[in-house]
Amino acid sequence: MSANVRSTRAADFDVQRCRADFPALQRHVHGKPLVYFDNANTAQKPLAVIEAVDGYYRRHNANVSRAVHTLGSEATALYEATRDKLRSFINAPSRDEVIFTRGATESINLVAYSWALPRLQSGDEILLTQMEHHANIVPWQLVCERTGAKIKVVPISQEGELLLDQLDALLTPRVKLLCLTHVSNVLGTVNPIARICAMARARGIPVLVDGSQAAPHLRIDVQALGCDFYAITGHKMFGPTGTGMLWAKRAILDAMPPFMGGGEMIKQVSFEKTVFNDLPYKFEAGTPNIAGVIGLGAAIDYINALGIETIRAIESDLLVYATQQLNTIPGMRIFGTAPGKAAVISFLIEGVHAHDLATILDTDGVAVRSGHHCAHPLMQFFGVAATARASLAFYNTREEVDVFITALLRARAMLL
Amino acid sequence: MSVANLYQQIVLDHHRTPRHHGVLAQATHNADGHNPLCGDHMHIELCIADDVLRDIAFNGEACAITTATASMMSERVIGLRREQIETLLASFDASLRATPDANAAVDLGELEALSELRRYPARLKCALLPWATLLAAWDIRISITTETAESPLP
Repeated sequence: MSANVRSTRAADFDVQRCRADFPALQRHVHGKPLVYFDNANTAQKPLAVIEAVDGYYRRHNANVSRAVHTLGSEATALYEATRDKLRSFINAPSRDEVIFTRGATESINLVAYSWALPRLQSGDEILLTQMEHHANIVPWQLVCERTGAKIKVVPISQEGELLLDQLDALLTPRVKLLCLTHVSNVLGTVNPIARICAMARARGIPVLVDGSQAAPHLRIDVQALGCDFYAITGHKMFGPTGTGMLWAKRAILDAMPPFMGGGEMIKQVSFEKTVFNDLPYKFEAGTPNIAGVIGLGAAIDYINALGIETIRAIESDLLVYATQQLNTIPGMRIFGTAPGKAAVISFLIEGVHAHDLATILDTDGVAVRSGHHCAHPLMQFFGVAATARASLAFYNTREEVDVFITALLRARAMLL
Repeated sequence: MSVANLYQQIVLDHHRTPRHHGVLAQATHNADGHNPLCGDHMHIELCIADDVLRDIAFNGEACAITTATASMMSERVIGLRREQIETLLASFDASLRATPDANAAVDLGELEALSELRRYPARLKCALLPWATLLAAWDIRISITTETAESPLP
């Protein structure tokens, strides 16, 4: 049923016209047309984003929220417009709850230092999952070192799905925070966040969701998900690097001390006392990445114009095709086979190391990631040091998948 | 640029059938080397006597470049003193750079095949891991207890 709807919507999509929006996709690498399959690492940027950054520096360059002159007002309006776009993008109740950060890593660290550090103590637990990115592990280890709290880990199945009965059992009164990814950067698994948040909420446990890999692929509705914190990075959703967002409920943010001190985050400063600014500025010390944030606004416009459902449909089609084709290669092992997964395929070919594969693919113009994908614990779970990963975006094509498969067969023949 | 120049026959031969792969019966030194960028791991065991490397073995999980380097390196270093190995490494390292040292005195032999890596800067560390692990092993004497039958202690 939904397949028909999807194919109709995807059929309306003109991929070549879309690709023309992305200058980097026109490149050749080693004399071959670039096949960019490293989107989960960072996505390419459409002209609209590049021009928004360029336009800010060319026409509007001024600091935000400080200058009364015309350029200052323009810069502030453009910058704050992205906050409204992000609010709408994640369906947050209020723009004041949308905090700009340098990325999901900073968003998570903000929660670790401002929310967790003052609250946690010895005997408390932070619940993570086996499939977390290092950015959602290391900040919590630092909190545990300083508070005496402990980390517990929700296990996963061989298919790459969270074991929800075990998650349920681990949600004890000792757990003060559950932190998990919305979409796995290695497995592509889309975790059932709404259901998990309901389980945690029933026990009064707040939930932080790392949405880095979800934002480019899924509709995000923080109110429907029922989470307490949601972190996003801009560069994986076609925006500039060094941009990101933390969303949290107002009551939680109000109760948190500032993360960093400086300009912008204050109302009044004397050497005796500082009165902190209102939300969201309380958490935005110093001059931010203004150009980047304006570019991120353009990226959100681009995604919205395309439609996140259309994106999902195109990527699902590519994922099915790429998976079918990969499975024709002898010795192929795909990591992560959860139903409804995002278009992220980690794999190994028996006897071929991921790095050798990636080097040979590169000479055919095919860009994939190889390594541990900042997820050592997940690699250990599967008993491998590294995998290769092809991560697809709406601007990729079946023809590119064919080039990728041919390159893989060439690499396999060369190395085995 | 052809990647076949990097994965040429001699490199693939050492990758497919690495020499000195395994463990030593009488290791005096060992070390583990990690490439945290990719998760690769190499374990090297040495037998050193009178300041001369008498034998070497390696194992672990690594890419073709690392494995081939370890294999070729192992064939070259037996019988050498530490300073001779360091000289060999300096020449090898220079061969991997964009502007190799034309005055490098040492004939690299088969290791010369890896000089193609100068076109792949992201893979340089793959070729340097075995050397770094070898030198680390030289500095770290294996812990030996009097309880094992193989103990060289009197």
